[in-house]
Amino acid sequence: MPAKGVFESVSVEDLYHEALVRLAREATGAGALPAPVGGAAPATLQGMATIENPLCGDRVTVEVRVEGGRITALAHRVRGCVLCEASASLLGRAAVGLGTAEVEASRRAFAALLREGTPPPPGPLAGLDVFAPVRAVASRHSCVLLPFDALGAALARASPPGTAR
Amino acid sequence: MAVLATHLGTGEAQLLHPFDGDGEGAAPALCDAARAAARDDQSRVWNSPEGAVFLRVYNPPVQVVLVGAVHVAQALAPMIGLVGYDVLVVDPRSAFATEARFPGVSLSTEWPDEALARVGLGRRSAVVTMTHDPKIDDPALEAALRSESFYIGALGSKKTQAARRDRLAARGFDETALARLHGPVGLSIGAVSTAEIAVSILSELVACLRKGSSSR
Repeated sequence: MPAKGVFESVSVEDLYHEALVRLAREATGAGALPAPVGGAAPATLQGMATIENPLCGDRVTVEVRVEGGRITALAHRVRGCVLCEASASLLGRAAVGLGTAEVEASRRAFAALLREGTPPPPGPLAGLDVFAPVRAVASRHSCVLLPFDALGAALARASPPGTAR
Repeated sequence: MAVLATHLGTGEAQLLHPFDGDGEGAAPALCDAARAAARDDQSRVWNSPEGAVFLRVYNPPVQVVLVGAVHVAQALAPMIGLVGYDVLVVDPRSAFATEARFPGVSLSTEWPDEALARVGLGRRSAVVTMTHDPKIDDPALEAALRSESFYIGALGSKKTQAARRDRLAARGFDETALARLHGPVGLSIGAVSTAEIAVSILSELVACLRKGSSSR
């Protein structure tokens, strides 16, 4: 049996496998952040960012609320492919509770999974392995990384409500 | 689309919307004449049994929305301008929808359904999808099929066209709705080059505007 290489193509069925499509359909966290009950706590930071992939048109907006260095709420709006929707849905499921450094580490872990096939570390983002088949299709790596990049940009912009940059 | 009918003998005037409603009490022959004038974009004198009637046509411009800032669109957009219609090229892939590729053409990098909702589609609208990416083409076709657009076309082979019809049927569009979709797009003129494909699309679009359907 030949070794699986990075450039080996993957069938449509393997790429859009059932668990991935289900994750996309669940669309956990899709929508806008509701106003915090009883107003924002004084120490709350809020950030929002929209980024796009100019080659495929995928567009992701992430809104995030941070308290004490940890994400307390996240919402996203995706115009894009199933891969992008699934990745955003995973963030909607797993991002609350993560610290900024953990978000950066998970972005790196995700990139390593796509580039080298490195299994994701245990923890809230262990579910990243659902994206393992994407590894074979280099042109689609940016589809699944886009929500993580949008989250990174939203966190970088996080500021006290009403002072949005 | 409105027509102001003025009876030249009496000066009596009546505003008609010949494609809408119940004829607004006007004689069927007058409605037919007004509809023909509106379809031809030509104000004219119509000789009714009761005397001459001047039919003044008020039509909004024809607007063609091309979804996909692709090669065929690069040829087609200026041709549409030459024919005298408005043209808008929509493509959320901002690497393609650039001024450098489409000098002087109205461009939008919105998603097509958002752009079409903003523009508003009516009886004088035409929509042609060209990306070959269902994620981008299908929302545009759904918006077009829900509108009164006089021409709806989708670039793609017979095979991709069958898959497209299946997807749209699954989204609730029936045979009557899907019959409005021209695909493979364009008149069968043996087009080979991108510019020739653009000619075939524009020809079919004109046929639908002027004759109410294409004659392939």
